[in-house]
Amino acid sequence: MNKEGKTRILILDDEPIVCKRLKPTFEKAGYEVETFTDSARALERAREQDFDVVITDLKMEKIDGMQFLSEVKERSPATEVIVITGFATMETAKESFQKGVFDFVAKPFKISEIMDAVRRAEEKRRAAGR
Amino acid sequence: MKALGARIRNFFTRWRRREPPLPFPVLLERFRSILARNNEILELMAEMGDKLSGDYVFDSQYIRFSCRKLVDLVHHLIHDLNVLSKRKYMDLYAALERIQWRLDGILAGRPALEDVPYTLFYEDCNRDWSEEVGGKNANLGEVRNVLELTTPEGFAISTRAYHEFMAASGLTVETISRRLKGRGWNDPQGLEQALREIQEQILAAPVPHAPAREIQHCIETLARRAGREHLFFAVRSSAPGEDTEHSFAGLHRSFLNVPETEVFQAYRQVVAGIFSVEAWKYRADKGFWEHEAAMAVGCQLMVDAVVSGVLYTVDPAQPQSETLTVAATWGLGPPVVEGSRKVDRFRISRDPPHALLEMHVIRKDMALAPNPEGGTLWAQVPESDQSKACLNSSQLSLLATTGLLLERYFKKPQDVEWAFDTSGRLVILQSRPLRIKQAPEADACRIADVTANAPVLWSGRGDVVQRGIAVGQVFVVESDEDLRRVPPGAILVARESSPKLARVIRHVRGIITDVGSPMGHMATVAREFRVPTVVNTETATKILHTGDEVTLDATENVLYRGRINELCYYELTQEEVFEDSYEYRLLRRLLRHVTPLNLVDPKGADFNPAGCRTLHDITRFVHEKAVTELATINMAGPHLAGTRPRLLKAPVPLDLRVIDADGGTRADSDARTLQPEDIVSIPMQAFLSGMVESDLWERTPVGMDFSSFMSSMSRTFDAHRAPLEEVGLNLAVLSANYMNISLRIGYHFNIIDSYLSDRIDDNYIYFRFLGGVTDLTRRSRRARFIGEVLARWGFRVEIRGDLVVGRMKKWSRPVMERKLRMLGALVAYTRQLDVQLVSDEEVVRHLDRFMRLLEPLWEGPDHSGPEGGSHEQGRQDTNPDPGR
Repeated sequence: MNKEGKTRILILDDEPIVCKRLKPTFEKAGYEVETFTDSARALERAREQDFDVVITDLKMEKIDGMQFLSEVKERSPATEVIVITGFATMETAKESFQKGVFDFVAKPFKISEIMDAVRRAEEKRRAAGR
Repeated sequence: MKALGARIRNFFTRWRRREPPLPFPVLLERFRSILARNNEILELMAEMGDKLSGDYVFDSQYIRFSCRKLVDLVHHLIHDLNVLSKRKYMDLYAALERIQWRLDGILAGRPALEDVPYTLFYEDCNRDWSEEVGGKNANLGEVRNVLELTTPEGFAISTRAYHEFMAASGLTVETISRRLKGRGWNDPQGLEQALREIQEQILAAPVPHAPAREIQHCIETLARRAGREHLFFAVRSSAPGEDTEHSFAGLHRSFLNVPETEVFQAYRQVVAGIFSVEAWKYRADKGFWEHEAAMAVGCQLMVDAVVSGVLYTVDPAQPQSETLTVAATWGLGPPVVEGSRKVDRFRISRDPPHALLEMHVIRKDMALAPNPEGGTLWAQVPESDQSKACLNSSQLSLLATTGLLLERYFKKPQDVEWAFDTSGRLVILQSRPLRIKQAPEADACRIADVTANAPVLWSGRGDVVQRGIAVGQVFVVESDEDLRRVPPGAILVARESSPKLARVIRHVRGIITDVGSPMGHMATVAREFRVPTVVNTETATKILHTGDEVTLDATENVLYRGRINELCYYELTQEEVFEDSYEYRLLRRLLRHVTPLNLVDPKGADFNPAGCRTLHDITRFVHEKAVTELATINMAGPHLAGTRPRLLKAPVPLDLRVIDADGGTRADSDARTLQPEDIVSIPMQAFLSGMVESDLWERTPVGMDFSSFMSSMSRTFDAHRAPLEEVGLNLAVLSANYMNISLRIGYHFNIIDSYLSDRIDDNYIYFRFLGGVTDLTRRSRRARFIGEVLARWGFRVEIRGDLVVGRMKKWSRPVMERKLRMLGALVAYTRQLDVQLVSDEEVVRHLDRFMRLLEPLWEGPDHSGPEGGSHEQGRQDTNPDPGR
């Protein structure tokens, strides 16, 4: 959490539309949000700053989402990762459960679905005393 | 080419004849697969349409994936129908290819333009054409044609003309993007240079012959209509997306008072305007892709303006102040629009009667006026007018009511350019959304307070089709006649979400229906026009009456009594980032070739593969033809070998053999006969019980006793006219949910084909009746009798001579079972009826008698309507017409 007690979220999706839609939605709901369409930059940022929740796509250009989330979890096990991915790649998505992913939301999703997932991730963190 | 086509068709026809027929279970399997895919396609189409509602986050991967899947499903559908029909509908492949070509073109960024005219008069412009004539022209078309406000006469030059003009100038999308490649915002000088070169090339290029001829033709037509020799135009930019979600305000160029001889030069200048650095940067910032760059142009006859100006329906500086602001000056509008000079300013209340709240009148010694030679010049304002307000209170009041009408219609605060002409008429020059800062959070709380105290009529009832807020007066539609009287701005209330309502959707603020499918045709149109709509509320027509004032919050799905304008205002000031996105526009463009249903009438001349313009059309066509194919399969054919027919021992003398294709009976497979209780096929159970329980076999309308009736039955057919083996037996092919029954009772020929399950969308009944023993007149009386009965029961009926076809589909299982029982009774009653029908009066007498006999058997009206239908129908009490 940041100084004001806001939950920090990092969103990574190589399609700008996803970031463009999610950023204002989460900000309106009182979160601190950073969005990335470039996974290398997202990784850079994740190395300098721990996030409470990370939302990431799996299938992207350059580095793949699996690699990204693995590194995020390695660096900061307390970070809850939510995978958003097209239903075409749902099978590979399931593999990432082993990497400690908190939840999946299949694209396309309703705003309320991703919001729920984030709230559940927050509850889990709270229950763990974080 | 034609000869070759004919030879190929002949070949297929011959091949078809020679080809051995397929086993029935194979055909049935194909048919089932058609039904299943039909549903899958309609669901996927509805899902894609849902994505436009703003509730979902989707990406371009989803759009591509869904399109590919849809085309795939439709391809399989066509294949199945051609197996079923032995390649009767090969032309459907070409129809699919045409649509696929368009979809691929849109996905690749080259929309198909060959169907688009080069020019459109404003009377033909509307929002459907916004991609082709640009937002400004499309909006103006709506203002003129829907709202019936005065707009300048003129025409639009489409993006097709643009693309051909650019191609002829050597400036295709590819060449432009090659020239701009690598010259991004980090090389501003290089980019500027490249853009300037493109502009110069445009200004020097000739307009190709075909569009030039059409433009010239439009000018001549206008001259004839106006009865003037020389015309002067306002030539305005109208890029796709401009003046709708994106303002492009001031970025594109407009030219006033252009003589008709210089229209082409002005056209080139407007087109070149897209390639100004500012416009290019705006497009890049807004997420437009290079290939989306296109320009339509509006050519409007000059308005002889006495006073011109701009109206904002909300004050952008103080959005909560409930005021409209007006800026105006003498003469033409550019000084107001450009903000280059001081002008008169007015503030008016948004509430009727729109009191004048504030007025700043300045001295106006000069006015912009048309130069008789073309172009504009500054002219001296007469001394007496210089210090006078350029608008009076009745003009201000007219501006206010007109502005609010535009705001309601376009669902956003509006920025309106207008003029009062020499005859005192208010002319709307353009209307576009006014960007207002989102209401602060405190406002959302205020809204929560207001709604908490408002009387709720219902909450969470029915299915939301399109979110949004509608405040207004209820208008209940009960008939087609009512539909013509729907006042603009009403909240339409109807029993069913019929496609008929689609006609008035753009005039109304909201729609509420008792029944209806969120997947249906009307829902698609409601979403298209973003009219807040809730269906399946069950009781809307009971609770609401014409004239009631209500507030429909289709976002939260609550209906309030009375007007809650705050809610409406809150909605108006919400920013729509979503609709600005490329993905939204892409999906919308694609869906135009997917969801509209053009083939609504199976009897229409265009009900053929060539008439299929969308994937929905093909799906509809295949469904219709598949039912016909299966119902008319020759049951006597040798392909039935292998499935052993067994005789049904029914308590009526019906010589019926049953083939169980899949789970239609539960008798031992060795049994040679079947008992009625062995039948488990849902449609057959219903039909058989109707035949038996109606007890109409004994109540023979023919004046003969039972034994002579039996002898008539046992004869089965006139041996001199048709040998038994050619006509076939009384036969039923059953599966758990399906029956195809062919009856030759007496001398007539009857087919009933039905599929019945708990999936409403799959359900149908097809009834076909032909032939008879007596002369043709009596036989067609019987056809009329049957036709009338079927129509009363809600079938869609066709009668040709002695052939009667009745169709019904997409009703719930209990309703369909009831209809099948009734058909059983009808078959029993009519087997020898033609002998009795000696006069037309007899038809009426028998109708009454039959209906009376049936009444005590299955009383009560139908309760369940077509809930899940995708080709949904308008259902009325007497003639539901559910078979379409």
